[in-house]
Amino acid sequence: MNDRSAIINRLTDVFHDIFDDTSIKLRDEMTAKDVEEWDSLNHINLVLAVEKEFGVLLNAAEVGALANVGQMLDLLVARATK
Amino acid sequence: MSQQDGAPVNSLKNRLAAAKSALADGAHKEAFLILTALVTPGDDFVNQARVAKLSLSINQTLLGLQPIRIALLASTTLDHFSDILRFWLAQEGFAADLWIAPYDTIVPTIMDEGSDLYSFRPDIVWIFTTHRDVRVDVAAGGGSEVQEVIAAAVATNTTLWQTIQHRLSCVILQNNADIPAGDPFGNYAGQVEWTRRNMLRRYNLSLGSAAPFGVVIFDLDHVAANFGRARWVDWRYWYHSKHAFTFDACGTLAFHAARLIAGLKGCAKKAIVLDLDNTLWGGVIGDDGLSGIKLGNGADGEAFVDFQRYVLTLKQRGIILAVCSKNEEENAKEPFLKHPDMVLKLEDIAVFRANWQNKADNICDIARILNIGADSLVFIDDSPLERNLVREFMPMVAVPELPEDPARYVQCIEEHCYFETVSFSPEDTERAAYYRTNAMRSELVAQFTNVAEYLRSLQMVSERGNLNPLLLPRMAQLINKSNQFHLTGTRYSEVELQACANRAQWLVRYYKLSDRFGDNGLISVVVHNGSIEHTVVIDTWVMSCRVLGRTMEEFIHNDIIEIARGMDCHTVIGRYLPSAKNKLVANLYSRLGFSQVSDEGGVTTWCLEMPSSPQPLETFITSLG
Repeated sequence: MNDRSAIINRLTDVFHDIFDDTSIKLRDEMTAKDVEEWDSLNHINLVLAVEKEFGVLLNAAEVGALANVGQMLDLLVARATK
Repeated sequence: MSQQDGAPVNSLKNRLAAAKSALADGAHKEAFLILTALVTPGDDFVNQARVAKLSLSINQTLLGLQPIRIALLASTTLDHFSDILRFWLAQEGFAADLWIAPYDTIVPTIMDEGSDLYSFRPDIVWIFTTHRDVRVDVAAGGGSEVQEVIAAAVATNTTLWQTIQHRLSCVILQNNADIPAGDPFGNYAGQVEWTRRNMLRRYNLSLGSAAPFGVVIFDLDHVAANFGRARWVDWRYWYHSKHAFTFDACGTLAFHAARLIAGLKGCAKKAIVLDLDNTLWGGVIGDDGLSGIKLGNGADGEAFVDFQRYVLTLKQRGIILAVCSKNEEENAKEPFLKHPDMVLKLEDIAVFRANWQNKADNICDIARILNIGADSLVFIDDSPLERNLVREFMPMVAVPELPEDPARYVQCIEEHCYFETVSFSPEDTERAAYYRTNAMRSELVAQFTNVAEYLRSLQMVSERGNLNPLLLPRMAQLINKSNQFHLTGTRYSEVELQACANRAQWLVRYYKLSDRFGDNGLISVVVHNGSIEHTVVIDTWVMSCRVLGRTMEEFIHNDIIEIARGMDCHTVIGRYLPSAKNKLVANLYSRLGFSQVSDEGGVTTWCLEMPSSPQPLETFITSLG
């Protein structure tokens, strides 16, 4: 198991980068609706950056399902390899 | 991104921050240079996307980029590719305006005359198909229908090309099929003709043969193979969002496309300037002597021979070779004359500079003698010191970071795709000889005290005539490749040029030039429009820069007058449309005795009223026949 709070910090960096907005604070219930630029195009950019940062490979269904920050964190706590 | 990550990621982040702050200061060029140094084509998508996204904030007008309008039509998703493509095009000098057709609407978009494709008025239409779009399935075991199926699949494309070409004056980029990594028949798929793998191979061959002038095949299969077929498709993102190639291939693909587009716009490199010691052979000829240099024997020696063979194939396809070496000239030439394993001979080298002056000055001199822009040169040198000197003083020269091991020289040059072309004519194989004899002429000129005497000594003869089918490819090529001596920037395909010649009162003329040093080939084309009463309008005039300063312009001017008189015209009108590269001819008509009629934002119109017996201008060229 990975340390959830360390992962939150790193994931926050990824969000800041992808959405070009350093004011974003992650919350478990946060979804695409809460972030202005989180559209389907940027969703893929986000997932690819997450895959690279944490050394995970998501399957096609997971890519589509990760529209909620809490789910993303759960998955990374369980599977991050770096 | 995180603290425990190493320096590389942080340094990317820091460099991005530096680019941002340069942008905030309005230093757009500096920001762009920072970004271009950050990624190579092979870098992964995440880095490509970050850099490309930031590059969108750069004002492309401030960079002096040439606008280009590109329409992308695909049955798969390209949204993530477009920013990266735009970034790589900017590095080739283009400010790209990209329009992507709605997903999976290739055929309706092209067929519907009212579609946004046509109102967008693209310079390039890129039909981004993949193997998924190609219907070539036949039953296992095949049969006589194989040929028909291939022909039908190719015909689907030709219909679309014709429709576009009928409505737009543009270049069409057409993907061929990226052959999938797998096939149900495994290895056997490569043996018989009816398997999907071999059907797609055959389709790719037929597609290339079917492409008319103005249609350029983008060899997607080649890019996929170079990238690696096994990782070319990321199936997760195929099922998730119909991405036809893996995100990490975006940089490679964008780079290849950008280089090809530069090539079709006449911006590919034209010449290669070579160092000698440790570049063409191992060791230092001045110290090691003829028998001491590594060439021919041993791993290094074989690699140097192969590198020379590769350079020779470049020359044979029309790339000009020059030498720039810090050496005594006699020493430098010795291997060319005496070493049995030397592949390159002195006559392959258009300009040979071996001296102790700095290489930037020498390269400048080489560009001047060849009469080509320094931005058309690639400089190959094993010394990091020399490379950096040239980069600093001549930033327009391409200087690849040559690997230390000569075994990888060829690969290094190939990877840069410097010499992309969309046509080839027999003239190309002769080009190196033209430039070499030109260099000999410029040595000769030094022996004469006045120019007239020199020009007379050349014994120049010009063959001129009207367009004929044998010369049509070369004539169209000259019109489409010329940038400097091109008054109006017109581009005509072979079909269009033939159409010009067929119009009543139009005349398409060619001019060849030869002299005592050799043949220069077909070096100028003029399109006359005499359809207005008693007036000839010079619609297009292009000339190869390698015959500048030989009174060829005056010779052609005299021919224009003869033609005008033959058409019973009393007035000749010429126009000059300025471009980034044709300043050379801004005052051509003035020099030839035309008077300026108007100047509309730099576009000048010139007029020559002919008296009943116009005086020809002085030329040292005589007419053949």
